Amino acid sequence: MTDHRARRLLVLATFNLCSLGLAGCAAFSPDGGMTAVSDLTSRTIDKDVAFVQTSEGADAIDARVSQLLARTLNAETAVQIALLNNKGLQAAYNELALAETDLVEQSLPPNPVFSISRISGSGASEVERQVVGDILALATLPFRSDIARDQFRQAQLRAAEATLRLANEVRRAYVRAVAGNEMVALLTDAKATAESTAQLAVKLGETGSLNKLDQAREQVFYAETTADLATARQTAASAREKLARLMGLWDGGLDFRLPNQLPPLPRRPQALPSIEADAVAHRIDLQIARLGLNALAKSLNLTEATRFVTLLDLAGISRRTQDPEGAPFRERGFDVQFQIPIFDGGEVRVRQAAETYNLAFNRLTERAVNVRSEARDAYRIYRSSYDIASHYQREIIPLRKIITEEMQLRFSSMQVDIFALLTEARQRLASLRGAIDARQRFFLAQSDLQTAVNGGGTPASGGDNPTTIAAAAPADAGH
Amino acid sequence: MYSRRRFLGTAALVGASALQGRVQAASIPEAPHMDKVVMQPPLHPIGGPDYRPVVTLNGWSLPFRMNGDWKEFHLVAEPVVREFAEGMKVNLWGYNGQSPGPTIEAVEGDRVRIFVTNRLPEHTTVHWHGMIIPSGMDGVGGLTQPHIRPGKTFVYEFEMKKSGTFMYHPHSDEMVQMAMGMMGMVVVHPRDQTFRPVDRDFVFVMSTYRVDPGTYLPHVNEMTDFNMWTWNARVFPGIDPLPVRLGDKVRVRIGNLSMTSHPIHLHGHSFAVTCTDGGWIPESAQYPETTTDVPVGAVRVFDVLADNPGDWAFHCHKSHHTMNAMGHEVRNLIGVSRKDLAKAVGKLAPDSMAMGATGMAMGNMEMPAPDNTLPMMTGAGQFGPIEMGGMFTVMKIREDLARDDYRDPGPYRFPKGTVAYEVTAPATEPARQQPDAVPMKNMKM
Repeated sequence: MTDHRARRLLVLATFNLCSLGLAGCAAFSPDGGMTAVSDLTSRTIDKDVAFVQTSEGADAIDARVSQLLARTLNAETAVQIALLNNKGLQAAYNELALAETDLVEQSLPPNPVFSISRISGSGASEVERQVVGDILALATLPFRSDIARDQFRQAQLRAAEATLRLANEVRRAYVRAVAGNEMVALLTDAKATAESTAQLAVKLGETGSLNKLDQAREQVFYAETTADLATARQTAASAREKLARLMGLWDGGLDFRLPNQLPPLPRRPQALPSIEADAVAHRIDLQIARLGLNALAKSLNLTEATRFVTLLDLAGISRRTQDPEGAPFRERGFDVQFQIPIFDGGEVRVRQAAETYNLAFNRLTERAVNVRSEARDAYRIYRSSYDIASHYQREIIPLRKIITEEMQLRFSSMQVDIFALLTEARQRLASLRGAIDARQRFFLAQSDLQTAVNGGGTPASGGDNPTTIAAAAPADAGH
Repeated sequence: MYSRRRFLGTAALVGASALQGRVQAASIPEAPHMDKVVMQPPLHPIGGPDYRPVVTLNGWSLPFRMNGDWKEFHLVAEPVVREFAEGMKVNLWGYNGQSPGPTIEAVEGDRVRIFVTNRLPEHTTVHWHGMIIPSGMDGVGGLTQPHIRPGKTFVYEFEMKKSGTFMYHPHSDEMVQMAMGMMGMVVVHPRDQTFRPVDRDFVFVMSTYRVDPGTYLPHVNEMTDFNMWTWNARVFPGIDPLPVRLGDKVRVRIGNLSMTSHPIHLHGHSFAVTCTDGGWIPESAQYPETTTDVPVGAVRVFDVLADNPGDWAFHCHKSHHTMNAMGHEVRNLIGVSRKDLAKAVGKLAPDSMAMGATGMAMGNMEMPAPDNTLPMMTGAGQFGPIEMGGMFTVMKIREDLARDDYRDPGPYRFPKGTVAYEVTAPATEPARQQPDAVPMKNMKM
């Protein structure tokens, strides 16, 4: 009797398992989830991404990278190289692949456990066979696979975010490295000028035309410029090194070529009236948080659904007992264990779930508010840094040029001393340095603006816990 | 330029009606206007006693009309643009289109009536410097007359009591007005034409300006650091030469309304100062000179017999006064090798040329300069750059020049063998006398 019932239950479980398997079983995708990542990122940064899994793939990537490295890099090619060649990014893609394994695992029904036990002694023996299925796991399979799908989607977004973050970092590093080059070139020039005038000052000291005080005054520019040049060289080298790191280059790839100066400013700045809406729609961290909230909501329902049954193990029992005294006899039956939460009534866990959900909800809302503000701020910084850089480019530098030309005319017609030219050259140098700085700030701000709309600007957040969203790290001020 | 015929016509028209007493506004004479900066031919008198007219260096004499026994002149005080030399124009104040104003010529004993119309943005007066006139005609605003307000015309009437060379300038906000170029010369010829006559008579006034390169207005508050040292508001090579026929007796009348004295030097001759704004110097008191210092606010007239043909430099002997715009805060670069200098300059001013390593001689280079300024030294002669500017010109004495011909005769054709020449000398150091090897008594050598 009991035997029949148990058997029927097992059959039922198997049936359920199979029917569920048809509906919820997930298979490994051929791309490891990368297509979605590449779609997401190409939409915003228009670059190829690749998840290197085979040696042929690695060879193709290497060929592509060395092809890109053959020419002087611009910001876009630098980003492209990093996206293909940065091993940290590959690691992020590995995490995505791992998330997919979770998804597949979570969408499979639990494997039934078969057990057989034999107990014997004093001539008596007992053989017990069990087929144990995790009924609960089976019952919650649709929920779990749903959640796992969300989590996989989150993982994809995180991979995309890592991609965008890398692109942003590369762009910033590129801007700094090129601006570093420009500064070094400027100061090298200035140093040469300062050196020859310092030598002239020494000569004038020898002819008796310049006293010690004035000699020192004329030479201090040389001394200062030398120090500035050393600092600039170091800054440029570090910036280049960081770019090399981000592009995943080493050894042979390190002699990549960078331009000597930053590109000119765009003719006019972008007008982005709907930047807040764009940011809220596009920001990957927001999308992640939103999905996290969904997953959480689902798991909360799950908690409510199972609040009285935390663990339900069903074991089909077939026990055969042999008594030495008598003939062997069979016993059949089943064993069901319940844990009934009489004492906490499940209430605590319901509260926990609700608060966890509310926390996540508020965090998401806060995030959205912050994203809007960040977008506005990034746009303002972008605009003002454009205005400042363009003020340098369109006003200050041309005025400096006029001053230089006029001073040279005055020098030519013996109106001013040669050292007046030097004084003017120092001021011009300060303006030119200001202009390089301003242009660098603009290109950094441009990159930050992209980041503020698309995401990828904040450093990796907690990761494991999608409901905990780190407050946006302050954007790198650049100086 | 004024039209002489038109002027004569006007003179004839109004000259018919003899005026007495206070002048009617309608009868104010025409005010001639001059737009040329080159020396105008002498203006022979059209009425009154005859005299031998002067020529004004890069200037002109003011035409007059006879009105009964009055000589009438009309000065218009107004803003003008004066060309200091080609390539530099300065916004000044002057009279009748130019600064300095035209020379007023009259004869000892003449009764003159000088109308002064003020077209300046501020009041003015005219003071007749050195002339013996009634106090009420002396033109000191506030002291002897009300200032002439803008748009008003005043008239000065007096008798030319003594012959000589005088000046006119405002005595009304004079610091500004003289710094802006308000000045001119007055020549009163002796009634007796046999009194110390000359064949050629030149006149000019010296003034100085500070016009920073690239600007068009002088600094009116400058006291000492001028950069434009002018004769009749012209600088070399903008100053006309003084063409003279060999053997002519030449008179040069020089007024000084700048703020420093100018030792004026003529090459190749000795001369005698014959007159100041105080009057004629008795011949017994004259002594020979080649340089005469013209003090501030004074006139010096020298007479010279042009008996030495050639091109003779004639200039102020303060060497900075024979330079145009130059910076006075420029370090001395003598002794630094040209190469070192070129290296330093090349870095700082790629388009400039290194100079000054041996001196400032650079007359043969066309140096780029700021707008509206002149090279520090310029002007070319037949042998190359003259390396001069400012108060410098040339007295050109020629045998083949006609009487009263004031045209530039061109460069002097030196007779063969009369020009300094190069000799072939060994490249070694020239032999030098050895100082006495025996030490002097009580001297540590």
